[in-house]
Amino acid sequence: MSKLNIELTINGKKRKVETTTSTRLLDLIRDDLHLTGTKEGCGKGECGACTVIMNGELAASCLILAPQADGAAITTIEGIGDDKYLDPIQEAFIETGAVQCGFCTPGMILAAKKLLEENPHPDEEEIKRGISGNLCRCTGYQKIIDAIKLAANRLSSSDSGRGKKDA
Amino acid sequence: MLKSYVGKNVCKVDAQDKVTGQALYPDDIYFEDMLYLKIKRATHPHAYLRRIDTGKAEKLTGVVKIITAADIPQVKNFGLIIKDQPVLVGVGQKMRYMGDALAIVIAESKEVASQAVKLIEVEVEELEVISDPLRAMEKDAPLIHQDSNVLATHYLKKGDIKKGFTQADIIAENEYRTSTLDHVPLQVEAGVGIYDKKSGVIKLWVATQWLHDTQADIAQSLGLSKEKIRIIQPVIGGAFGKKEDISVHLHLALAAMETKRPVKLTYSREESMIAQSKRHPFIIRMKTGVTNKGYLTACQVEVIGDTGAYASSGPAVVHKGMYHCTGPYNVDNVSGVAYTVYTNNTYCGAMRGFGTTQMAFAYESQMDILAHQLGINPVQFRLQNAYDIGSSTPNSQRLTHSVGVKETIKGAAVMAAWKEGSP
Amino acid sequence: MKKRGRGIATIMFGFGYGEGFPDHSIASAEIEEEGKILIRTAAADVGQGILTTISQISAEVLKVKPEAIQIIPGDTHLTKNSGSSSATRQTFFTGNAVKEASEGLLSNIYHYASIEFRSNHVELGIKGGYIFRKDNPNNQLSYWELAERVKARGDNLKAESSFFPHTDKPDPETGQGEKLYVAYTFVTQIIDLEVNTDTGIVEVLKVYTAADIGKAINPKNVEGQIEGGTVQGIGMALMEEQIIKEGITLNPDLTGYLIPTSMDTPHFITRLIENEDSEGPYGAKGIGEPATIATAPAIANAIYDAIGVRIYDLPITPEKILKALKEKVKFTSEGWLGL
Repeated sequence: MSKLNIELTINGKKRKVETTTSTRLLDLIRDDLHLTGTKEGCGKGECGACTVIMNGELAASCLILAPQADGAAITTIEGIGDDKYLDPIQEAFIETGAVQCGFCTPGMILAAKKLLEENPHPDEEEIKRGISGNLCRCTGYQKIIDAIKLAANRLSSSDSGRGKKDA
Repeated sequence: MLKSYVGKNVCKVDAQDKVTGQALYPDDIYFEDMLYLKIKRATHPHAYLRRIDTGKAEKLTGVVKIITAADIPQVKNFGLIIKDQPVLVGVGQKMRYMGDALAIVIAESKEVASQAVKLIEVEVEELEVISDPLRAMEKDAPLIHQDSNVLATHYLKKGDIKKGFTQADIIAENEYRTSTLDHVPLQVEAGVGIYDKKSGVIKLWVATQWLHDTQADIAQSLGLSKEKIRIIQPVIGGAFGKKEDISVHLHLALAAMETKRPVKLTYSREESMIAQSKRHPFIIRMKTGVTNKGYLTACQVEVIGDTGAYASSGPAVVHKGMYHCTGPYNVDNVSGVAYTVYTNNTYCGAMRGFGTTQMAFAYESQMDILAHQLGINPVQFRLQNAYDIGSSTPNSQRLTHSVGVKETIKGAAVMAAWKEGSP
Repeated sequence: MKKRGRGIATIMFGFGYGEGFPDHSIASAEIEEEGKILIRTAAADVGQGILTTISQISAEVLKVKPEAIQIIPGDTHLTKNSGSSSATRQTFFTGNAVKEASEGLLSNIYHYASIEFRSNHVELGIKGGYIFRKDNPNNQLSYWELAERVKARGDNLKAESSFFPHTDKPDPETGQGEKLYVAYTFVTQIIDLEVNTDTGIVEVLKVYTAADIGKAINPKNVEGQIEGGTVQGIGMALMEEQIIKEGITLNPDLTGYLIPTSMDTPHFITRLIENEDSEGPYGAKGIGEPATIATAPAIANAIYDAIGVRIYDLPITPEKILKALKEKVKFTSEGWLGL
């Protein structure tokens, strides 16, 4: 367990952090960077609560060692939106009742973000597959699926608006 | 007058904090100078603890203190209904399931605490492990606690069960079994504790479904007045019954008092599954009588609920299941017995439905079996037996208002376009 | 081959602790600074939304926006006992306590306003956090202005209520009693599913739910309870089992102990039956636990409908289905069944 320094970009900000070879990325994010929106539900990559976006891909931060994130760009839930600016996905989660206990919500929103970036118009089956790595015990998933549909509609209508302006 | 807010889809008051990651769950609370706890758990499901040696573990750099039962002779057992659960199992005492706590390791980091747990040496005298409640009920089975392994027996008697079966043309008799379930709230048990030297108050940030009762149980176990235990509710990451029982609370309180520093304890998922409450697996033997015209006449039920190593809510869960044995149907003659039985399995407590979820599997399977035997549409069969205002439950509670069961049957059938003749 | 089946289950659930066990909720309502009304309750929001329910109830009584209702987070030293968030009891118990406390606060508002306005209660009206004389609506006082004046009198604008309904302890020999539970919630579910007879895998397709809940304070949240409870029921019916052998758990993780994922979610069709005839706030009853109870039997009955075999022990895993199908063929070929 030797110490080392790593540098990573987290939610757009460059950070230098001292860590150890055995520290998990999840612990670095929570304990050292104090970004506690990223949750631990199982510690084994089974539940998706610790999901972050790392270099553009969804990642279970409990399965990644901190040194592996050296030089990486990472987005956590705190980088998606805040009280002043909510991402349309976050807004949709609130409006559709997709949030119950909320523990899966940060990981779920990051999974939805990634899904909609790759596929702006997912059908129900594609949404289900897109969030299938994220467990939720409260909602039965239906309202989460509804939220992602709503966000997709809103995002695509604002996209087309912008498209017209550009043209 | 039309209502402005009741009956409306108002957004959840806490949703914004939750979608932005700002909501603070127990494990999200940090203090300067905080210590981390890990629990050394039982090494055998049923054994006397003969020796516990924390010497090697204590020598590990970063270990602040290891608390064993010998350090806390004044601390009493805890439990929701019966105080049968030890805070720490001491030498000469019994461990009764794999979740029993033997020692609290307090260290400067999570890693050190985990390493230290592995260095604690334990010697035990193994006893017969009772995993099957039917074995637990046998006369020659070793006792898990001081008294009988049958912790509680409850009865149900309404009408004349013999007469009820005499009136029946068809009788269905079957045995049903349900499995041990974990609630799997996404947030595992966790909490933070601080001891305030000046006031002598222990502050705990731990999720609980039952703030004041948890406070009372902690206080009686520690021999303190309730005012000395202050629980502040963090955001709760799901519960479903699993956060009714004490988990990290007492260990946090003891460690906070001992070290006078902030302490945190977070279970692993594995620890949560092994140590913390479950849904009771039920064995249900049910005999139901019905006339040729499809009217229920009798329901007899025997329930065996495996409550595992400790009572928790068990005595209440198992008989509440029995009290719901007919479902929402008129049955004049009912007889039942419910046994709550200790085993060396993980203890079982409250989980969504509190015994009635298990029972519904039995009574609604019976209804289906009888409908098929009678050749009556299952919707019609349910409708003609369902409660109305004035009906009486297996406990002879007369229903005086709000009995919409027939509307639910009709409502579901209409939505599903259930046609006469279709199954 | 895929075979379709349909099953029904109807359930009841007596909510509250019942059985003579003391069961009560205490709540208080007071005028806070900055346009807020403060509710104190220890009711735990485990995600079901009781805090939202409370804010709607109090807002309804006091005719203010739900955003004006501030709820102090549960704290043994700042809130009084509201019982547990279990037994499907919070909407009924704490909901009633909050409603009564809010009504008590409103009655104090009328009392002190009638002194200020030198009028009778009947001559007063309320709207949007203001109390006014009906004959001169411009002559109005906000709740907060009124609270200042009441404070100047050495009094304060607050009210507390404890909701503590009686239930009977059942006879120990017979389990009989006049009133065991405060009330019952009823639910019927009809479930359509598909069984793959080659793999034994069951796919739940549609769940029709009709729930007698008295009144939905927040219909979307009630739906959320039903959907979440149903999916837990799907887990119980088809996959969940903590396997404990000789006291040792063999599957203490989420790879060994499977819970439903988004791929297991069926299509939901839900109807809320609202007769508003319960003693709960605005006629509401609880839904938390009843939401999960009908699912497992409805699935078991639908599997029987699909493939003609009945499984008596949960969970109904693919292995059990395949074994039962094999035995059914055996029995049939030997002439025991299907004659």
